[in-house]
Amino acid sequence: MQLIPEYRADVKRVERFNFVARMTHWGHTVTFILCLLTGLVLFLNSGANWLATIFGGYNGAGLVHRIAAVTLTIFLAIFVVFDFKGIIDWIKDLLRFGKNDIIFVMKFPLEFLGFPVKMPPQTRFNGGEKGNSMLTPTCVILLVLSGYIMWFPSIFPAGLVRVSYPIHDIAMVLATFMVCMHGYLGSFHPGSGESFWGMWKGTVRDDWAQHHHPIWYEETYADKAEGDAE
Amino acid sequence: MAYKTNLYDVSKCTACRGCIIACKDWNQLPAVIEPFKGNYCTHEDTNGDTFTIMRFIEEETDPADDVKWHFLKYQCMHCFDPACMKVCPRHAYTKTEWGATYHDPEKCIGCQYCTYACPFHIPKYRKREDKITKCTLCVDRVEAGLTPACARTCPTGALSFGDRHELLAQAEERVKFLRANGFPNATIYGKLELGGLNKLYILTDTPDKFGLPIDPKVPAQIPFWKDWVQPYVGWLIPLALAGSAFSFVTTRMLAGKHGEHAEGGHE
Repeated sequence: MQLIPEYRADVKRVERFNFVARMTHWGHTVTFILCLLTGLVLFLNSGANWLATIFGGYNGAGLVHRIAAVTLTIFLAIFVVFDFKGIIDWIKDLLRFGKNDIIFVMKFPLEFLGFPVKMPPQTRFNGGEKGNSMLTPTCVILLVLSGYIMWFPSIFPAGLVRVSYPIHDIAMVLATFMVCMHGYLGSFHPGSGESFWGMWKGTVRDDWAQHHHPIWYEETYADKAEGDAE
Repeated sequence: MAYKTNLYDVSKCTACRGCIIACKDWNQLPAVIEPFKGNYCTHEDTNGDTFTIMRFIEEETDPADDVKWHFLKYQCMHCFDPACMKVCPRHAYTKTEWGATYHDPEKCIGCQYCTYACPFHIPKYRKREDKITKCTLCVDRVEAGLTPACARTCPTGALSFGDRHELLAQAEERVKFLRANGFPNATIYGKLELGGLNKLYILTDTPDKFGLPIDPKVPAQIPFWKDWVQPYVGWLIPLALAGSAFSFVTTRMLAGKHGEHAEGGHE
């Protein structure tokens, strides 16, 4: 059984994600998962000794959590510094959330289970990706902020420290929920197709881009003289 | 087993600070020297090496009168239902059968959740060990049949130790006496606060005069976090995993029915 479609270098390909975006993405993948596993050590209240042991006990897990958290923050900073335009373009695309995206999200449960669905044309990010792109980064920013407040509580007002605890947990759960879905949809879900290679190698097949993100394809790679496709 | 506790009678206290020294001595706590802040308090607040402090609160009501002193020995209140115990992710806190809230430094990881959950802001971070410390109600002494170091050393009898219900009866008598003898606002603190504290105070005035919260409360974020967020919200994660696994199976089953996905995607 084939899990991910084969990478085809022999067909025409178009760029989907640049190097900085990909580095940030995979840097966050590793640091987020490290933070998640070491954080669950405390979140699983009934005892997660087996999980703590992997990281060298509770103090070791705490150290890994902090190192991974700082690295995650550095990746955020790299993204902002080296690909600011990319972030702006990303946000601009998210702000185009409209009718097509709502139809996409409404029909998506069927697609998720594998029923054939005809989707309306999508921009660079489809309705579901837009939702993920809004929720997950928001949660990660909340995690970073509340995390540093919990790390250095003495320099923050006590009330802020107290709200940081539930915020850190809620943001963690929502982000992890999205990351689980995103990880599956971006790899083993048959509908995702080429999108894994878009983030791994940076390019996707030309025909896939036309098929799945026609509006984006029109605007970016088709003849622009024809005017906006929107 | 009946709860054993300290009764501290403000009206008998001379603020000699013997209890602070006895506490430091028994618990082998190094001196913490704080700069002079314009009052008689040696310490503003408890800290990682100071489990109990003596507050000197000056009250100037009438300029013709002298300054009124309010002394207060301040330390962990050993709440019946301690918030520190509730938030501790390592279950380092335990309640002994006679009512002491004991913190086990072996289990502590220094996260300081307890410091911010405590309505009295008592557990303090000891940086050099990366651990929390606080008053133990001298668990080690009491379980060996002794009285806590502070109560043993008190020269005026302001601090006593014994069964809580006996001390409470004594305190009620004493408050009646004080009310009839020039302290109309005298009151007991710790009988009902937060459902009961395992430290009893006889105050000569209302608690706020001594810097004690009149109606102490566990901050609302804490029960929200521990009773709602942590036990329930986390189930979204296994839901996502189960949903993905389910979809993994159904997509592959349906793919057989509807024909293979076209190369490089589908639709």
